[in-house]
Amino acid sequence: MNPYLLPRFETQYDINDQEFSISGIVRPQSIDELAPSIALLKDSIDRVRGILYVNIRRLTQMNNTAFHAFSRVIIDACRARPDLKFVVITSSVVGWTTRKFGRLSGIEPNITVEEYDSEFYPGQTFLEEGGFIPILRTQTKLTWRHERTILPRHGMQPGIVMADICCGIGDFAVLVQREFEPSRIVALDHARTSLAYARNVAAEFDIKGIEYTYGDASEMLLEDDQFDLVTCRHSLQVFNNPELILKELFRICKPGGRVYITNEKNSHCLGEPRADSIQWTYNEVAKLWAHFQMDIELGPKSRRYLIEAGFEDIRVESFMVTNHDGDPQDFADVIAAWENVYAGEMATKRGDPPAFIRRFRQGFQDHIFAALHPKGYAGWPIWVASGRKPL
Amino acid sequence: MNIASQSVGGEAVFKPMIQIDLEVKAFLSAWLHCDQISTYSARMISHNRSDSVRHSNLFSSAFNELLEVAFRARHSSGEIACRVSRRGETDRIELTFPCMPEERQFYEEAILQIAGSEARERYLNSVSGDLAPSREVVLLELAIDYNATFRLDEAGADTITLVVDLPLEGLPN
Repeated sequence: MNPYLLPRFETQYDINDQEFSISGIVRPQSIDELAPSIALLKDSIDRVRGILYVNIRRLTQMNNTAFHAFSRVIIDACRARPDLKFVVITSSVVGWTTRKFGRLSGIEPNITVEEYDSEFYPGQTFLEEGGFIPILRTQTKLTWRHERTILPRHGMQPGIVMADICCGIGDFAVLVQREFEPSRIVALDHARTSLAYARNVAAEFDIKGIEYTYGDASEMLLEDDQFDLVTCRHSLQVFNNPELILKELFRICKPGGRVYITNEKNSHCLGEPRADSIQWTYNEVAKLWAHFQMDIELGPKSRRYLIEAGFEDIRVESFMVTNHDGDPQDFADVIAAWENVYAGEMATKRGDPPAFIRRFRQGFQDHIFAALHPKGYAGWPIWVASGRKPL
Repeated sequence: MNIASQSVGGEAVFKPMIQIDLEVKAFLSAWLHCDQISTYSARMISHNRSDSVRHSNLFSSAFNELLEVAFRARHSSGEIACRVSRRGETDRIELTFPCMPEERQFYEEAILQIAGSEARERYLNSVSGDLAPSREVVLLELAIDYNATFRLDEAGADTITLVVDLPLEGLPN
């Protein structure tokens, strides 16, 4: 069947949430094409009490014909039922929706527009503050020593079209571009400060061919089946619903292409001397992340996640970043940054007592001690996994 | 074809990005052509914008409305030309299509109204009162939501060129 003849939008009503949602591309020639959806909206209005949520987060395009049709129904309902309020939920990712639907509140005060944003991932805010940027660069420097030889085994090669989802400050994309010369890289993140940093670096160093874009990894504007390789590093472990992200990575990957993910298992961080103290602290790190609905132990679970997302030809390997990867001080700096975020911010926010935080900090200090000790060894293990999207 | 936007009356140069010409008959053969042309053009010109995906989405949205206006005019013959050019942060769409004298007058008046002080009110009145948007309201919406500016150029006998400047790079999120 001609794919252009298929309906490219969907409307739904969820009675439990009192939510009417419109998603996809809505560009009808005539209002008649919308008749079933308009009927559903009217029916939803008849059934609802108090507030009707109109969810347009996944609405990527809507022409004025459709906008007028849906708006008229909502405005008429406001006038017929003053008891009813409408809350339109837009996405900060789709540039036009908040502005366009925001006009409706100027017509009817019972219509309000709320923009959905990154606050839905509360744990991440710890890791995305501007002060963390230097340490993210150091982390990438340490992991790149390993990944540059690992990546070709997972589909990386010159000339491919790739996406780096949750690209952070974009340093991995830059390293990939220099080393492997893909024909195009789309690098997406939902932290505007990180993207601004990435764009500045690209401009300063005259780096071409990387498109930094603002987006939500769980519902991207990127189209289906576009990329030969989709990378998503150290990020599934940060989301409370990694399956949702993997579904999107699967969607944008070309059939036959691969999705490449890296994640940690922090409780396996190790060091000598002072192994016991180090071990205790990183076990506690895992519990702390779980408290904030993040899974820093996700690494070895990658295979299961990829299989359950529908990938085939799963390849998994692991590597250990150590204090012997270049300057031991780099490793120590990373651990010091972890201590600041985990013991300084997250444990405090969880309400941990001072005695716990003291012991918690000591493990990081001991890890640094091991890293800088002339006979010491300190490690940070990372799991790499990739899967092929079936043809 | 002459790219009129390159230098007009001392105006700084708009560099051509993409041009699509087609017979009106072919264009009118499927409504989906509006979507396809706007989406394709948006993708092609957006890769080097600061946020390629966002720019592409916004540009496609605005361009599609203009194409739908041309489609609804439903002239039976002639050619339609879609040219996209760029100067700095502004993208320019030049849409040349068949147009009778009375239609030309309509566009001239519509552009005057867009520049008027009551543009926003006219737009809101239409959203709350009209079942379907008129051509004028579609153009008004582009001015209000996309900061678009409009101009009409002479393109030849019974044709007009609608020149629309879209400063999407500077559009607040």
